Amino acid sequence: MRSTFARARGGRIKVRLGDADRGVVAGLLEAVADLLDPEVDAQADAGAGPSQGSAGTAPDAPDAPDDPSLWASLEADLAVEPPADPAVARLLPDASRDDPELAQSFRRLTEQDLRERKRDSLALAAAALRRAAPVVLDDSEAQALLKGLTDVRLVLAERLGIATDEDAEFLHAALAAGASQGGQEWAKAAELYEVVTYLQEELVHTLLPSG
Amino acid sequence: MSVAPVEVERPDLDEALVTDVPWVTIVWNDPVNLMSYVTYVFQTYFGYPKEKATQLMLDVHRKGRAVVSNGTREAMERDTQAMHEFGLWATFQKDEA
Repeated sequence: MRSTFARARGGRIKVRLGDADRGVVAGLLEAVADLLDPEVDAQADAGAGPSQGSAGTAPDAPDAPDDPSLWASLEADLAVEPPADPAVARLLPDASRDDPELAQSFRRLTEQDLRERKRDSLALAAAALRRAAPVVLDDSEAQALLKGLTDVRLVLAERLGIATDEDAEFLHAALAAGASQGGQEWAKAAELYEVVTYLQEELVHTLLPSG
Repeated sequence: MSVAPVEVERPDLDEALVTDVPWVTIVWNDPVNLMSYVTYVFQTYFGYPKEKATQLMLDVHRKGRAVVSNGTREAMERDTQAMHEFGLWATFQKDEA
């Protein structure tokens, strides 16, 4: 069967999807970018105080390091909690599973940057798909789409309650059997998940180095 | 999946004595990421040959986790963030071996 993606001249990638389908995928990419908006997430996180965790404030304070207790309380003020939405938390995961301090300091230093990188990448891929046909992706757009499809699948999987390999297999089998035991919403999300999975598989194989 | 080795917290003194212990980046299994995609990430980001990338992917899939790189703490932090950018769940820690 013909793949949705094909190599074009100069390493570019041709996208053989109709306008409506490209629009659906672009919409999913944009929805995930919105989820990663720090302000949207802060609203979801009801308990969040004014702690922004922005770098470069505390270390420059001239007298802070002289007083260990003050230093400790400043550190605590800058604490960044994992995102409240489990789907966002999966996109910005803890960098340690058994050392909460390490996970938190890593989050404090990198989460903002990771959010921005993901949002930029998702926006780049979505904008490319929204161009008028025929859509041909350059390398950075193709890479952005590949990563973006991953983020979309991670979010959909969280919403669908896919927590184990068996859950994923069950979803696949249930859809194949025409079941929609979770109702209309579930069936719609499950179908999107399958379509995006299929698209990603095709894109990986188009991009895969042969070596 | 809750088989991570339980360790007693190491005191800071210990840390000072073993500063040359290298750090590692670990990628964990998840039910979403495709085997082909994980292999692709290991090939393109780390520059591993296809065989090594495939073996690491299979380790992640079957054993639940695999050490994908080692080096200084700074390098492992970079690798961990890069894996998160790709949507893989990575952690970093001191090498236990």
